[in-house]
Amino acid sequence: MSAVGRLVRAELRLMTRDPLVLTFVFAFPVVTMLIIGGAFGTQPDPAFENINPSHWYVASYLTVVIAATGLVMLPVHLASYRERGVLRRFAAAGFPRWSFAVAQLAVGLLTTAVACALLLAVATPVYGVPAVHDAWRVAVAVPLGAVAFVSLGVLLGSLLPSARSAQAVGLLLFFPSFLLGAGGPPPHVMGSVVRQVAGPLPLTLLTNAVRAPWLGLGPATGSLIGVAVLAVAATALAARRAAL
Amino acid sequence: MGRRAGAGRPGTLVGMSEPQVVTVRGLRKAYGTRVVVDDLDLDVPAGDIVGLIGANGAGKTTTVECIQGLRKPDSGRLSVLGLDPVTQAARLRPLVGSQLQESALPDRLRVAEAVELFRTPRARDGGELLERFGLTARRRSAFASLSGGERQRLFLVLALLNRPRLVILDELTQGLDPAARRDVWAAVRQLNDEGATVLLVTHEMDEAEALCGRVVVMRAGHVIDAGAPADLTERHASTAVIRFSLADPPAGLLDEVGRLDGVRDVTRSGARITVRGHRRIIAYTGAALVRWDAVPADLSVWQPSLEDALLGLLSEQPAGGDRAIAERAGTADGELVGGRR
Repeated sequence: MSAVGRLVRAELRLMTRDPLVLTFVFAFPVVTMLIIGGAFGTQPDPAFENINPSHWYVASYLTVVIAATGLVMLPVHLASYRERGVLRRFAAAGFPRWSFAVAQLAVGLLTTAVACALLLAVATPVYGVPAVHDAWRVAVAVPLGAVAFVSLGVLLGSLLPSARSAQAVGLLLFFPSFLLGAGGPPPHVMGSVVRQVAGPLPLTLLTNAVRAPWLGLGPATGSLIGVAVLAVAATALAARRAAL
Repeated sequence: MGRRAGAGRPGTLVGMSEPQVVTVRGLRKAYGTRVVVDDLDLDVPAGDIVGLIGANGAGKTTTVECIQGLRKPDSGRLSVLGLDPVTQAARLRPLVGSQLQESALPDRLRVAEAVELFRTPRARDGGELLERFGLTARRRSAFASLSGGERQRLFLVLALLNRPRLVILDELTQGLDPAARRDVWAAVRQLNDEGATVLLVTHEMDEAEALCGRVVVMRAGHVIDAGAPADLTERHASTAVIRFSLADPPAGLLDEVGRLDGVRDVTRSGARITVRGHRRIIAYTGAALVRWDAVPADLSVWQPSLEDALLGLLSEQPAGGDRAIAERAGTADGELVGGRR
């Protein structure tokens, strides 16, 4: 098996033993979706662009999974590895230069995929999963967003000096993004200032790029382009920073 | 015992094709304004066990990190196994087994999984290595649950796993109990016998004396001396101290001992007699005592070790090592009865 294959296998194994990953990436989005999704009822509401609020949140929460993986799980994981000398050990053992970055990307994407599947599996019997109006755009936006946030996570993990600081910064980035761009109130009920702040956030762009074509609210091409630019830039920087 | 400097390995490919496994010329590395390694030259001959010793902050770890291609030197030329560690790191690293200072494995990674993760197609039998280092029973234990000694032994297993041609061991036996240290030393000797060249970074002088054919002493980023442990000891700490008790020494004995070649002083306090001088006084004094038929039951000898030599070297004072051995053996007390002081 190749070095990347061995690293991916080991990292996947370790992930299943990590309580932070299990709770924050798998449990948090599911629990908050169940709470918020039930809070506004199931009748179409003008505040939700005449969409059933439960369906609005089901279509929004895939991106919460992606952000939790990218902004919380990976930075802590990587910073902890660097702080404790694990990366030096991999480097000294002759693992190829890009193997660790590629393995993290693969593990991050796989985690996102499994957590998204879990979210939809829980949502289906409770609120139902809304029909996807523009499947192609959603199918492009979700993996592109996952690549963008996983790379962002690898980048943050390679820049922050310790696991503690990575956790602090990650949570500080995650919760405002979550409230303003995915799991919080819909943009129409936000004040103009808050809406202006929320608009350009990466998670807002990604949620728009997924939710709008999913619920038939428009193509959200601008948001999709923003996510694509972020994905390219973050991947290039992350690969450079996480090289062994 | 490790091979002496330059002995090589007649008949082995490594020894024949590459007289020097590591060649460093003019290495310089600074972190910001702090120069850690400055104009350093180092040679590690094929098949030798070479020790890099020195106080904390001497630049030892930075030097080996540059040799491994883990740090980029500011200037200087390096050749390791015929490769440039900066531009050919990807080819070099698989050939070098490393036991790094201050490094770890993921907390939840189990011992057997670590072996699996680090093994390459050229790896030796991981199970046999785990057995040799007493880790078979811990195969399913997570790294975080291992004791300090078990972690060190696991790092050694990983360093040796892929049949490296050069093994770099940084603080090899830190945290190991005496029995485990002996086991690890035996493993290093066996590895060397199998043809690997070993570069050992250590604070433990007994370790350097036990394993290394040649030691290189660093201070403040420079090499200040190098040679076989015995030669360094001779150069920087040659004083020996002999103590014995004779209630009524034969007349003339102490005069003769005082005139022996190398004796610096002879002092007496009651029955207690102390002789100081060059290490050769050990043999001369013993012979004189036998000749005079005055063999004491309590004769003890303090002779300098590599540690005393290192203390001498690092003290930056002439005869610092001799002072160290004098302090270790206790201060001279009593009446001066002979010698050339």
